[in-house]
Amino acid sequence: MASISFKNVRKTYDNGVEVVKGFHLDVADKEFIVLVGASGCGKSTTLRMIAGLEDITSGELWIGDKLVNNIPPKDRDIAMVFQSYALYPHMTVYDNMAFALKLAGESKAVIDEKVKEAAEILGLTPYLDRKPKALSGGQRQRVALGRAMVRKPAVFLLDEPLSNLDAKLRTEMRSQLAHLHKKLETTFVYVTHDQTEAMTLGTRIVVMNAGIIQQVDTPRNLYTKPVNKFVAGFIGSPTMNFSNALVAEKEDGLYLEFEGHSVKLNAEKTKALKDGGYVGKEVIFGIRPEDVYEDEDVVKAGLEEKRVIEAEVDMYELLGSDVILYYYVGENKFTAIVNPATPTRTGDTTHFAFDVDRMHIFDKDTEVTICH
Amino acid sequence: MKKQKSAVDTVWSFVLAVASVLYMYPIVMILFNSFKQERAISTGTAFQLPTAETFAGIEHYINAVNSKGFLQSLGYSFLITITSVGAILLFCSMCSWYITRVKGFVSNGLYMLFAFSMVVPFQMVMFTLSQTADQLKLNKPWNIWIIYLGFGAGLATFMFAGFMKSIPLEVEEASMIDGCSPLQTYFMIVMPMLKPTMVSVGILEAMWVWNDYLLPTLVLDIKKYKTIPMLIQYFRGSYGRVEMGPMMACIMLTIIPIVIIYLLGQKHIIKGVAAGAVKG
Ligand SMILES: Nc1ncnc2c1ncn2[C@@H]1O[C@H](COP(=O)(O)OP(=O)(O)OP(=O)(O)O)[C@@H](O)[C@H]1O
Ligand SMILES: [Mg+2]
Repeated sequence: MASISFKNVRKTYDNGVEVVKGFHLDVADKEFIVLVGASGCGKSTTLRMIAGLEDITSGELWIGDKLVNNIPPKDRDIAMVFQSYALYPHMTVYDNMAFALKLAGESKAVIDEKVKEAAEILGLTPYLDRKPKALSGGQRQRVALGRAMVRKPAVFLLDEPLSNLDAKLRTEMRSQLAHLHKKLETTFVYVTHDQTEAMTLGTRIVVMNAGIIQQVDTPRNLYTKPVNKFVAGFIGSPTMNFSNALVAEKEDGLYLEFEGHSVKLNAEKTKALKDGGYVGKEVIFGIRPEDVYEDEDVVKAGLEEKRVIEAEVDMYELLGSDVILYYYVGENKFTAIVNPATPTRTGDTTHFAFDVDRMHIFDKDTEVTICH
Repeated sequence: MKKQKSAVDTVWSFVLAVASVLYMYPIVMILFNSFKQERAISTGTAFQLPTAETFAGIEHYINAVNSKGFLQSLGYSFLITITSVGAILLFCSMCSWYITRVKGFVSNGLYMLFAFSMVVPFQMVMFTLSQTADQLKLNKPWNIWIIYLGFGAGLATFMFAGFMKSIPLEVEEASMIDGCSPLQTYFMIVMPMLKPTMVSVGILEAMWVWNDYLLPTLVLDIKKYKTIPMLIQYFRGSYGRVEMGPMMACIMLTIIPIVIIYLLGQKHIIKGVAAGAVKG
């Protein structure tokens, strides 16, 4: 049970590369915080600093009310699932999971109960007597998870703990983790590449890019109110569509003009753009594929004729419950998630409409959000 | 291509066969002669199998075991070998753990020093060594292991450090997070993973210490303490008479422990104990 607080934490590796740059973050007690970001952006490094496996180059790291910069891992009261699993190769699955408890001096009966319970949850009961080398990748990953689960530390650190599991098992483990979080009421710091995991598990999500925090917010806010183009593009799948556009003023209001198309902006966006002095300037707009409508849906959604774009479908992708259409707006490849009943196929020309109310507009130079 | 390969294999088999005959022949010769009567052991008949009249049974073996000081020497040899190899395995593996895991000037320097010690021939330092050993009173069978530790450390540290580099660091990190102190990490995690290297190094060092003649001769008080190789030397020199039979029996007897160690250890030298620890 502990809060974690980063105060201007920096990390520079021996080779002189600054991997984490001025990290400010307050994680509340019992929070489930999720770190996301492109590969190599410093997520594991951040986790390893919390664990005490990596020195902090400058700044302060607090766990609870203790400054932990110089406290060794074993005194930090943490459990960690490594990205690479890091199982003890000479011990059986049972001993791997029991190891921390044995060191803590728990009684045999307590250890046995906890290990068996965790093994049951993780579906590892038949493998308790095996050594890690006789397990599949997914089974090893579950052992790594089990090794952390049997403990009751102040902070859980999980580095992509479900990355190697099949879809079904992953969903199952995801809900088990949510349970575990509720049951143990401890702080979780979780790294993942999986949007669903991030969105469903996190009380808050930290979006990182090249060692810098872009935004820390609830999953809903990240989705609806990204602070800049990076976050907007990172959250959501398929990713948001972007295009440059000119803000043009006509007698009946402001328009976004791009690639021969022109869409009228609503009052709210007009005001934001006018206040920011963007009239007559280039901006970037973004629209999520789920906010793009096709042909008859355009009419159904009550979107005006003027907002319609004509384009040839470059690719048709059926995902079961949805269909994704790919098309070009000028040079930019755009996507739309549409009704699976659509007759449109690759090569057809069809009409799309953007839900202007849900359009995001960004400054062209700084890529900071002007309005949502 | 395939044909070429099998031709190469044949040549190699031949070369290795010749080599093993060359290696085996002194031992086989000694084995034969240890069963011959004393008078039948001569240069001319060295390669003959014992015949009905020259066969001596295990008489020489009994003589060897009963000869003065044999059991005592055996004890000393065992004591020295076990303490030395034990010390080398423990200290050198710990040292190479430090060298591989703690980067810096000290560990680099140490590593170079160990590597360098392997190229200095023993003969270069043996006289100063024997004097120093005398002064420090390291001339007893129960503390000569300190000297063996020094001479064995180069190779052992080198081998341990080489293997240690291939152990994923995360495994040790995981143990620290699980609550291990550095010593616990060493004994509960690192040492078990080092087992195959321990066996290899152990066999090499045991063979060397067990068979070593020069160092104990120089260091130990020869009148009081004799190791087996020193005792064999003594067989030949006593009473001005060469007692070849018991000597050869003695040699055969002293080969046995080392062969047993090798056979026992061999099956533990398996590659990839770290298998399964990390992804991929
Ligand atoms: N020991 C090290 N020495 C030098 N550079 C390192 C070291 N470890 C990591 N890096 C670099 O630091 C950066 C961040 O690495 P990190 O492992 O934190 O990324 P990550 O966000 O976890 O990526 P992934 O999602 O691929 O796991 C990378 O560019 C990596 O090359
Ligand atoms: Mg990582």
